[in-house]
Amino acid sequence: MSLLERTADLLGFLDLIRDELGLDLSVQEAEADLDALPAWDSVHLLRLVMLIEQETGRRIPVASVLQARSIAQIHAHVVASAGGGPR
Amino acid sequence: MNTSAQASLGVPVAVGATGTDWDAVRADLRRYGTALVYGTLADWRPGDLAPDALRALLGRDWARYCDIAHEDIRDRYAASRRLLKSAAAAALHADAVDMELTYGPTGRPYLRGCDQIDITLSHTDDLLMVGLTTRGLIGVDAELADRRIYSKGLDRLICTPHERLGLGELAPEERNPRLVRLWTLKEAYSKAIGQGMQFRFTEFGFGPDGRPLQVNRPDGTPGAGAEWAFATYYLDVGDTEFCVSAAVYDAGLGRTFDTGITTMLDAEAAEALALALAAAAN
Repeated sequence: MSLLERTADLLGFLDLIRDELGLDLSVQEAEADLDALPAWDSVHLLRLVMLIEQETGRRIPVASVLQARSIAQIHAHVVASAGGGPR
Repeated sequence: MNTSAQASLGVPVAVGATGTDWDAVRADLRRYGTALVYGTLADWRPGDLAPDALRALLGRDWARYCDIAHEDIRDRYAASRRLLKSAAAAALHADAVDMELTYGPTGRPYLRGCDQIDITLSHTDDLLMVGLTTRGLIGVDAELADRRIYSKGLDRLICTPHERLGLGELAPEERNPRLVRLWTLKEAYSKAIGQGMQFRFTEFGFGPDGRPLQVNRPDGTPGAGAEWAFATYYLDVGDTEFCVSAAVYDAGLGRTFDTGITTMLDAEAAEALALALAAAAN
């Protein structure tokens, strides 16, 4: 299964964040404002964008991802940018 | 603490939640027009304050504070505002409970009604950092000095082409420390101009260590003049080293040596207010 397929739903996306960034987030936390997450910051966001770009070979528009206020919104931006739609 | 600070900025001053003599902060404001202060989360967390006192201190931030579900984040939120308001109050010879914060579209804090002083805030791990300036605009950012940021691919999202060339020429063990420094400089600059990360970090850069700092264009040529001052500091707090950068914009409005809140009111505005009050009384 490709990374794009694995992360097409939010749970898969959270698995990726846990495995690659070491952050274990619940679905509830994924829906919360980024400011409310204890360990999240902009370095994590850029690392996530980099990882997805490397795995999919597609550029993620960072400016639009930066508008997101939650992990779920980031997921929606990333999936849309990578050519799919959030499940 | 070692520092590559420029002469136009002083070094960060450590402050405690109780018993702090703020004279050094006021002295830096008089000398440099800027003061940088820092404290620890453990010291500034509001556990020693009664709920009513904390509510009075947070003012309009109280509702936001109550909405934060995670205890650590709630404590960090309160501690950082406590330090920010205490530092601003010290600069203005006022009480912290009288300081009111307001926020711009990107979350940048301002002191409501006291726009003669610009403020900035950064916190990471156990470090809380505050910047104050009467010169114009200020931004600060702090990171753990040993935070792993550098990796192939990530530098493309953070650095200008010129910076990436410079990083590539360094020994591998020197790349991450350089990138942590660049990251904090870019965050500090972005905070000062109120853009957060909306202003892409690949669109502006900084030179290598050991030279006067300036903002560069992506190709490494100067992108701003002497109106900006930057500095990077390495702070040992407890057993942890932090990389801290500050960016200060001099608006060219001259220096303000008396920052007392009662003397910073614009004279014409104060006169107009007095006339209006007198007219209303009659």
